[in-house]
Amino acid sequence: MTTDGTGTHGAILTDTVPEGGDSPLVELRNAGKSYGNIRALHGVDLVVRPGQVTCVLGDNGAGKSTLIKIVSGLHQHTEGEFLVDGRPVRFSTPREALDQGIATVYQDLATVPLMPVWRNFFLGSELTKGPWPVRRLDIDTMKRTADDELRNMGIVLDDLEQPIGTLSGGQRQCVAIARAVHFGARVLILDEPTAALGVKQSGVVLKYIAAARDRGLGVIFITHNPHHAYMVGDHFSVLRLGTMELSASRDQVSLEELTNHMAGGTELAALKHELAQVRGVDVDELPEEKDLTAPVANPAPGPATDPVAGPGEKTP
Amino acid sequence: MDSSSPSRSSRIAPVVALAAAVALTLAGCSSSSGGKKSEESADGASAGKASTPQMTVALVTHQSPGDTFWDIVRKGAEAAAAKDNVKLVYSADPNAGNQANLIQNAIDQKVDGIAVTLAKPDALKDVIAKAKTAKIPVVGLNSGVSEWKNLGLMEFFGQDETVAGEALGNRLNSEGAKKAVCVIQEQGNIGLTQRCAGVKNTFSGTTETLYVNGTDMPSVKSTITAKLSQDKAIDYVVTLGAPFALTAVQSKADASSKAKIATFDLNKDLTSAIDQGTIEFAVDQQPYLQGYLAIDSLWLYKNNGNYMGGGEQPVLTGPAFVDKTNVDAVASFAAKGTR
Amino acid sequence: MSMTHHAEPAVTTPPAPGRKESDGRTKQRPLALRLLARPEVGVFLGAVAVYVFFLIAAPPVRDGSSMANILYQSSTIGIMALPVALLMIGGEFDLSAGVAVITSALTASMLSYQLTMNVWVGVVVALLVSLGIGFLNGWMVVRTGLPSFLITLGTFLILQGVNLAVTKLITTNVATDDISDMDGFGQAKKIFASSFDVGGVQVKITIVYWLVFAALATWVLLRTKYGNWVFAVGGNKESARAVGVPVTFTKISLFMLVGFGAWFVGMHQLFTFNTVQSGEGVGQELIYISAAVIGGCLLTGGAGSAIGPVFGAFMFGMVQQGIVYAGWNPDWFKAFLGVMLLGAVLINLWVQRTATRR
Repeated sequence: MTTDGTGTHGAILTDTVPEGGDSPLVELRNAGKSYGNIRALHGVDLVVRPGQVTCVLGDNGAGKSTLIKIVSGLHQHTEGEFLVDGRPVRFSTPREALDQGIATVYQDLATVPLMPVWRNFFLGSELTKGPWPVRRLDIDTMKRTADDELRNMGIVLDDLEQPIGTLSGGQRQCVAIARAVHFGARVLILDEPTAALGVKQSGVVLKYIAAARDRGLGVIFITHNPHHAYMVGDHFSVLRLGTMELSASRDQVSLEELTNHMAGGTELAALKHELAQVRGVDVDELPEEKDLTAPVANPAPGPATDPVAGPGEKTP
Repeated sequence: MDSSSPSRSSRIAPVVALAAAVALTLAGCSSSSGGKKSEESADGASAGKASTPQMTVALVTHQSPGDTFWDIVRKGAEAAAAKDNVKLVYSADPNAGNQANLIQNAIDQKVDGIAVTLAKPDALKDVIAKAKTAKIPVVGLNSGVSEWKNLGLMEFFGQDETVAGEALGNRLNSEGAKKAVCVIQEQGNIGLTQRCAGVKNTFSGTTETLYVNGTDMPSVKSTITAKLSQDKAIDYVVTLGAPFALTAVQSKADASSKAKIATFDLNKDLTSAIDQGTIEFAVDQQPYLQGYLAIDSLWLYKNNGNYMGGGEQPVLTGPAFVDKTNVDAVASFAAKGTR
Repeated sequence: MSMTHHAEPAVTTPPAPGRKESDGRTKQRPLALRLLARPEVGVFLGAVAVYVFFLIAAPPVRDGSSMANILYQSSTIGIMALPVALLMIGGEFDLSAGVAVITSALTASMLSYQLTMNVWVGVVVALLVSLGIGFLNGWMVVRTGLPSFLITLGTFLILQGVNLAVTKLITTNVATDDISDMDGFGQAKKIFASSFDVGGVQVKITIVYWLVFAALATWVLLRTKYGNWVFAVGGNKESARAVGVPVTFTKISLFMLVGFGAWFVGMHQLFTFNTVQSGEGVGQELIYISAAVIGGCLLTGGAGSAIGPVFGAFMFGMVQQGIVYAGWNPDWFKAFLGVMLLGAVLINLWVQRTATRR
C-alpha cells in the first residue's frame, strides 16, 4: 500500500485496483509515428482499462504529445496497431475518437474563455428542442444538466452564466473533465492537466481524476511530474526519446524509481556531479527536486538531458 | 444547420443542379420590355483612318476608377486615336504623386506625345519639364486652365470650372431662384469646389454647400433629403455629377420639396430626365471633345505643325447648356455614352 | 429572457448548502449593473445620447419624416453591419463587404439587361454570385489559415477591378443601363425598395427588414446551436475544433451570410436607383465594421451581439444626417462625424467601466 502519500485525497481514492479484471478499452501495440523521415514515436505499448489511471510520463519532446494525438484522432499512427475494444482503428478526426468514447482534455485549449460555463460545457454537443425552422437550444435542460454534472464531480459554481475565463485554471480543467465524463467518455485523455497550476489547484484536479476513475473511466494521465502521477496512477509508462523506457504497474515501481526514470538515470548522475562542483548544493537531496532543477540548471552542455528537442526529435 | 460540415462534393452538386435549372428556365424568363433588345443599335461615327505612320500618345489623367465622366473623355481620345492611326496608352491615378510617376513612365517609353490633366499642377511641374527636355510635346486637358501656360504646355482643352460655375449661377438668376444648395460628392476635390465657388460668385441668391458620401448612393439620397427638409427655402439643388442629380430627384420626392434640380455633366439617364422635366438643365463641358481634341492636336502637331488655340489661348469645350429645348439633339449621343 | 434564467438558481437554492462553498470572488452583482456592463446597453445609451442631442440641436429631427429618413440611412448600413458583426464575432473580417454590394447589384442589372430577361433571373443569379464570393472568401481563409484581413483585402481589390472592368466591357459605360422598364421590376421594387405609410410618414421597407434581420440574428446567436458555434470559433478556434464544433462550416457559412447581406443591400440599391455606378461601395466596408465595433463586437472575435450593431448603425445614420438637419457648416462635416462617434464610444466605455467596477 503506497497510497498513503496522497494524504487528503484518501477519501476518494478507494484503492481498489482492479488489475486484469476488465478487458482493455484502448490498446497500443508496438505503435509508432513518423513525420516524413523524422521518427517521433516508435515501439510503444499502452493499455488502458476501465477504472484505471494510466500515467504517461516523459520530459519535453519525449513523444507524449504525439502519443496523445494518435489516440485522440488528431494524427494517425504509421507503425504498429491501435485497438479500441480489441478492434484495430484509425481515426481521421477527433470527432471519430469522441464517437468511440475517447475524449481529450487539452492543457490550455480545453475551453472558450469568453463563453459562459454552461455553453462551454455543451459546446459541440448542444441539446436542442423543437422542429427544424425553430429548432433551438434547450437552455434550461443544459443549465440544469451542467450544474448537476459539475456537482457530481464536486464542483459548485454560483453562476453558470459567468464566462469560463473567470474561473481558475484548475476549475476550468475540472469543468472540461466533467464535460467529457457527461458525454459518455469511456477513455479520458488528460494532457498535462496540472502543468500550469499551483499546488492547491493541482490537488483539486487530481481529486477529479480520481473521481473520474471511480466512475469507471479509463484515464490516460499525461504529465512530467512523477509526484502527481504517483498520487493517482495505477500504471506508469515513461517515454524517452520517442520510445518506451518503462512500463510498470503501481506495485512494481516506487516513487523513487519512477522519479529516477523520469529524469534519466546516467544523465542525472552527471548533472548531480556538475551541480556539486558549481555550488554547494546538497546533492543527496537532489532526486526529490530534480524535476524542477534539471532543465533550469542545464544551460548549454548538450549531453546532459534532452532539452526541448521540438515536437519530434530525431532518432535515426 | 447541419451538425457537421458537408463534404465538398455534396456541396457542389446542388449548386450545379441549381445552375442547370436556372439555365433551363432562362428561356421562359425573358423580359418583354426594356433590356438590350430594345436598345437601338446605333453605329458609332466611324470616320476613315489616317494613312500617317503610327505614333504613340500617352493620356494620363487624375481619374478615380469608375467615373462616368472620365469614361467619356477616354472614349473621345480613343475615337481620335483610331482615326489618326495613334496608339493610345491610357493611365490614371487620382493621387498627384502617382500621376507624376505615370507621366515619367510615358517619358521612359519614349512616346510621341503626352496629354495630361492638371488637377494638381505643382506636383506635375518637374515631370512635365522632363518631358520637354526629352522633346516630347505635352498638351493639357480638363483641369488646369489657369496653369497650363506656366507649365509650358503647348495647348489646352477644357473648361474653366469657375467659369462653368459662374455660367450656371447666371442661369439660376434668370430662372428666378432664391436659394441653392451645391452638392459636393467628394470633399476636397478642387474642380468640384471651384464649380460651387463659381455658382456662388454669380448667383444673386444664397448658395449653400452640402457634402455627401459619393461612394454610397443610399447615403447621398438620405443626406440630400435631410438638407431639403431642414431648409424648406431651398428652391434649387445643384449637383456636380449626373448620377447624383438622378438621386436628388428621389430625395426631392422623399422630402416633399418643391426644389428644382440642375447639374453639371451628362449621361444617358440624365438626358431622359431632362426630357421628362424632372431635371431642369445640365451644364456640359463636353468631355468627349476634350479627349478627342487632345489626341487629335498631338497628331496635327506632329504631322502638320499646327497649334490649336494658336498656342496662346485655351480651347474651351464648355460650358454648354443642355435643357428641354436641345435635349433631343443630345440624347442619342448620350445614350452611346459619348456625350 | 436569459436574465431571468440565470438569476433563478441564486434565488431558489437554499436547499443546496454546498452552493455557498464558492470562494466568494465571483459574487453576483445587481441585475442593473450587470445589464449596464453589457456592451450593447452601453451603445444603446450612446445612441440615445446622440438622439437627444440632435433633438435639441436640430429642430427638423423632431419631425416624423426626418426620423424615417435617418432610420432609412441607418438601415442601409445596419443590414450589412449585421452579418459583418456575426462574422466578427466568429473571429474574421470581410473587407470586401462594401464592393460586394455593388458586385451583386451589377450582376443582377447587367444580366437582366443584356439578356433581356425578367429581372428576377438577375436577382437570383446575383444571389448565387454573392454567396459564391462569400464561400470563396471563407474557403480561402479556412484553407490557407492566413488572416482574413489579407484574404478579403485581395477580394476587395479584385472585386473593385472586376466591377469596373466587366461593366465597361459589357455596357461600354461605367454605369449599368436603366432596367426600370423591364418585366418584374415593379415586383422586385416592391420587395426590395418600397415604402409604406405610417401616420402620414413614408417609411422605407429596408427599416423593417433591418429590424427583422436583427431580431432573427439575435435569436440565432443566443438560442441556436449555430449561434453557439459562432461564439466558439471566434473565441477559441482550436478548442472549438477539439470539442467537435464544425469550424470550417461555421466560418464559411458566416462569410456566405455576408454575401447574402451584400446581395440584399445590392438589390435595394438597384431597385431604388434603377442603375448602378460600378465605382461605388469603396470604403463602405469600414463603416459596416465600425458600426459592429461601436455596437460592442470584439475586434478579435468571440464576443458581441446582433442588437449592438443596430444601435451602432443608428448612431452613424443619426450623426450623419443630424449634422445636416442642424445646418452646421458642412466643411466641418467629417470632423463633426468623428467627434460625435468618438464621444458616443467614450460614453459607452464609461458606462461599462462604471458598471463593472461596482
